Amino acid sequence: MKCSRCKKLACVALPSHNAGFCPECFPLFFTRQVETAIRREKMFTLDERILVALSGGKDSLALMLELKLQGYNVTGLHIDLGIPDSSWKARKKVEDFCEKNELQLQVFEMEKWGLPICDVKEFVDRPVCAVCGKLKRHIFNKVALEGGYDALATGHNLDDEVARLFANTLRWDTAYLSDQGPVLPASGGFVRKVKPLFRLSEFETANYAFLKGIEIHSDPCPYSSGASFTNHKQLWGELEYRSPGQKFQFYNGFLQRGKQAFAALEKEIGADVKPCEECGSPTSVGRCSICRIKESVATKKAAAQAGK
Amino acid sequence: MVTVHLEPDGEVIELANTKSVLAVLNRLKVRSTMVIVARDGELLTPDRKLHMGDTLLVRKVTSAG
Ligand SMILES: [Zn+2]
Ligand SMILES: [Zn+2]
Repeated sequence: MKCSRCKKLACVALPSHNAGFCPECFPLFFTRQVETAIRREKMFTLDERILVALSGGKDSLALMLELKLQGYNVTGLHIDLGIPDSSWKARKKVEDFCEKNELQLQVFEMEKWGLPICDVKEFVDRPVCAVCGKLKRHIFNKVALEGGYDALATGHNLDDEVARLFANTLRWDTAYLSDQGPVLPASGGFVRKVKPLFRLSEFETANYAFLKGIEIHSDPCPYSSGASFTNHKQLWGELEYRSPGQKFQFYNGFLQRGKQAFAALEKEIGADVKPCEECGSPTSVGRCSICRIKESVATKKAAAQAGK
Repeated sequence: MVTVHLEPDGEVIELANTKSVLAVLNRLKVRSTMVIVARDGELLTPDRKLHMGDTLLVRKVTSAG
């Protein structure tokens, strides 16, 4: 296969774009897709300060590097979850990557904040992944607001977005369907959230990461099975194989024609959001779930220690 | 024989009679846009021919988290 741009030997074949690219041209294709996403969705400008959530996975690191190469003012934020034998590896990977590429990095330690995820696992009677996800979103938002950032960027790619949209469609989760998308404008205590990789598939990000020397292998979270999303991704991989471009059509069709209907419905039936009585974060229930989780873990932990 | 290193599983397998990247993917029952394939640090498209003694890296692109 030849490169669609320069006719040299291609290294990546993209059926959904009916194209192939060589090692020099593929990163240009990637850059164009990110530029288009930022421009069309009015994500942010060169004058704004962007906080980039860095998990240590290939997508977040690829995003950080690409935004920096495009000249944006980016700072990385890594959350050290405080999971024994696991979190330090992700942290080290992010720290090494940022040092090597001269990227600004901030690390937030859950343990110092009083709530390492290992305590959540031990003392909270709910699936640890759901609570951990909630805590991470809370902290990303908190750090972005306190640091005066204009936007929070995450490395979600097209496959992540499609898998999530699909899961929410299967449940007809109107609250979720009303505000899913590549840009969530700032509102009532929430910073603007953007997903500049939403036009790019996981396959495209993986190729970019490989060509840019980003180490892809990441240790999966010891608490997560990752099962349901992975199943949906497999299913979509098969659909995409049969009709290339289907993934993007499904997601883009939702943004163009589906989302507004759910937003209108949610405006009628959705809950009002007010600042949390304790920490000021937006919530629909007086005291936010984060503050309640923190208190409950502290109480149970103290009781467990007294009983020893 | 072609030696295939599967990631992230860390498994190593040997395949006979696989003369192209596509043939390897078919034997592994994976679609071409769900893995990246590299030989000696070079990414390969599915149509690329393979030779006896080649060592391939086949890495799933779906992140677990
Ligand atoms: Zn080219
Ligand atoms: Zn609160």
